[in-house]
Amino acid sequence: MTERPRGLMRAAVLIAGKDLKARVRDRSALIIGIVVPLALAFIFNGIFSGISGGSKAISLGVVVADHGAAGQSFIASVLAPLRHAGLIAVHTEPTAASARTLVESGSLSAAITVPAGFTEALRAGKPAALGVIESAAAPLTAQIARSIAAAYASDLNRARLSVAAVAAGSPGISRASIARLAAQAAAAAPPLTVRDVSASTKELDNKSFFAAGMAVFFLFFTVQFGVTSLLEERADGTMARLLAAPIPRASILGGKLLTSFALGIVSMLVLVIATSLLFGASWGNPVGVVVLIAAATLSAMGIMALIATFAKNAEQAGNWQAVVAVILGLLGGTFFPVSQAPGILSSLTFAAPQAWFLRGLGDLRAGSLSVIWTPVLALLAFAVVTGGLAMARLNRIAEV
Amino acid sequence: MKAVWIALTNLRRMFRRRANIFFVFVFPMLLILVLGATFGSAATPRVGVVVARAGQLSDALARQLAHTAGLRIVRVGSVADLMTMVERGSLAAGVEIPAGYDSAIRGGGTAVLRYIARPGTSAQQVGETVRSAAARQAELLGAARFAVARHASASFSAALAKAKAISSAVPRVSVTERTAGTARFGRSLGQFDEGAWTELLLFMFLTAMTGAVALIEIRRLGVPRRMLATPTPPGTVVAGETLGRLLVGLIQALVIIVGSALLFGVHWGDPLGVAAIVLLFGLVAAGFGIFVGTLFRNEQQAMGLSLLLGLGLAALGGCMVPLEVFSPTLKKVAHITPHAWANDAFAKLIGHGATIGAILPQLEVLAAYAAVLLILATWRLRRILVASL
Repeated sequence: MTERPRGLMRAAVLIAGKDLKARVRDRSALIIGIVVPLALAFIFNGIFSGISGGSKAISLGVVVADHGAAGQSFIASVLAPLRHAGLIAVHTEPTAASARTLVESGSLSAAITVPAGFTEALRAGKPAALGVIESAAAPLTAQIARSIAAAYASDLNRARLSVAAVAAGSPGISRASIARLAAQAAAAAPPLTVRDVSASTKELDNKSFFAAGMAVFFLFFTVQFGVTSLLEERADGTMARLLAAPIPRASILGGKLLTSFALGIVSMLVLVIATSLLFGASWGNPVGVVVLIAAATLSAMGIMALIATFAKNAEQAGNWQAVVAVILGLLGGTFFPVSQAPGILSSLTFAAPQAWFLRGLGDLRAGSLSVIWTPVLALLAFAVVTGGLAMARLNRIAEV
Repeated sequence: MKAVWIALTNLRRMFRRRANIFFVFVFPMLLILVLGATFGSAATPRVGVVVARAGQLSDALARQLAHTAGLRIVRVGSVADLMTMVERGSLAAGVEIPAGYDSAIRGGGTAVLRYIARPGTSAQQVGETVRSAAARQAELLGAARFAVARHASASFSAALAKAKAISSAVPRVSVTERTAGTARFGRSLGQFDEGAWTELLLFMFLTAMTGAVALIEIRRLGVPRRMLATPTPPGTVVAGETLGRLLVGLIQALVIIVGSALLFGVHWGDPLGVAAIVLLFGLVAAGFGIFVGTLFRNEQQAMGLSLLLGLGLAALGGCMVPLEVFSPTLKKVAHITPHAWANDAFAKLIGHGATIGAILPQLEVLAAYAAVLLILATWRLRRILVASL
């Protein structure tokens, strides 16, 4: 009785070994499984890392035409903290015209002007205006410059309204009292403040995203080599010979699945190591990565095997598998992060196993190993459902 | 005439495979849809807001945030959800209005909003807009609190009502904006516009590249040999193959352009300009595809290289991220690719409403590419065909 399972396994391993040898020899698995994803990740990473993104300090020009205290206090109390935080770089410009020229040429992102007589207007309670010179080419930066100026204007308005609210209740209040109230109102703490809370990031950085995205996209092509070869064996007539041999049918299927699994795991592991070494992709906790890769490989095998069972021949299977792999890859966010999209798309993405794999890697970045169970179970659910259906139908292929 | 028949046979062979119909027509449209849905309106950062306990003041602040220009506010149910959404990048940042917000302010204390953002300068910069909204909200609240503290009003509510009443009579300190320079696009683009033209270029080129594989396949099947056995000069076969590739590209372009205009409302601009770009770029792609196809004998290798070149050149040419955000050096390198020139031309046509006259420089470069590549391609193809006899 113990002889049979061992023989079953041995035949499966032999079939897988033969298939793997053939794949290594014709280089097809090497190209699709390793060379193309690696090269694409490399190209995308090279291009995207060369992009001057929005993560730099904003070069903000400041023009103070005012001779009073307000202009200087704006620089010291509003702009200086922002400069220390690394949000802006402050460049003092002599005139609004010169600042404008620099904004036009792109040397400055935006400029804030404190006009002449600003302090005097504040003291006299007259209307006053800060100016913002913004670049049409950089609407996001313009918004930030506007916000900085608007927050300062609001602080001044709060003091003005405070004085007015008190003075309205006491007609005939003296000028001296108003001046004293104004000083107190300006010094009063604001009723609400904003405190920064730093969230950890569960997003993959660019390098790791392209590495992982391309790897899992092509995984769905790599696993096809094992499963689909059943159809090839049938077309070549070797299936008949395999079935005639004293090998149980389960061993033939097992061998093909083993081929897919081995190709998937090995190509993924090579990609993990290569992208880490070549351009510093960080995949995270190795145990978690290996578990996720194994689960993703099984889900890819299940889906691709299921499609193969509907095909007449290997070519048709390959065509339909490519269509499904590409749709799932797009939906699963292997090219760009679809899960960050607004609306229904951000939920729809989880209809693709690729999205769970990438989410698992993202969560792994911030959390402990235990966070990957949800994505792993989701991937295994894909594998069990599609793989189960495929198994039920596979017997149809494993015939002459 | 024979060349046309050869081209049409090419077309039939291509579209008989139903998967090709998917990759040539359906997939590009899907990608335009998903790209537009994901990034089409992403210029304004999405910020989540949690109101821990509903209250008059909390709700007023939430409304203030919602009306602040430069933020797209998304209401989120709990702080835990907000944290996760920020961590995963589905929100740029989050604001938590604490449960004690109303009572703290009414009681004369200070309410602390929590601004949740991932580390990085851009999220902090969005925080400035949140701060300006908070400062705006603090104008009346601060005035009311000041009045209560100075015993000018009996209660906070009365003081707030009074502050509101007098606020319009108090001269304001305001901010005036002036715009300098020119916008990236003269007219505002539709949600799907930029995705549509960049994907059009990517897929026309990619399809032509997979044509390289088809060329190897027909050589393996011996189709050219049999064509040459009939009284057909090699030049006709070469012309037919090239025309076939070009036709596939042009039909693809027509379907994508008309389809995206009808389905997603993409505005394509001057039809003459679009036709010129598509025709020249189609010639470039056909020439390149055939040239690469003549360099390989193995379909698997050609497939791998086609994918690499098709996607790699498109990425470098600004079909995945706009050329405008490339660094100056990378931008120069990008203009090695025909994609970059075609992208520049489309940006002018669609983004600035230019007509064909304004894109002549780009068209000239594309024409030069097309000429060189077609000469190379036909020369190589002719040699291979004759050698196969």
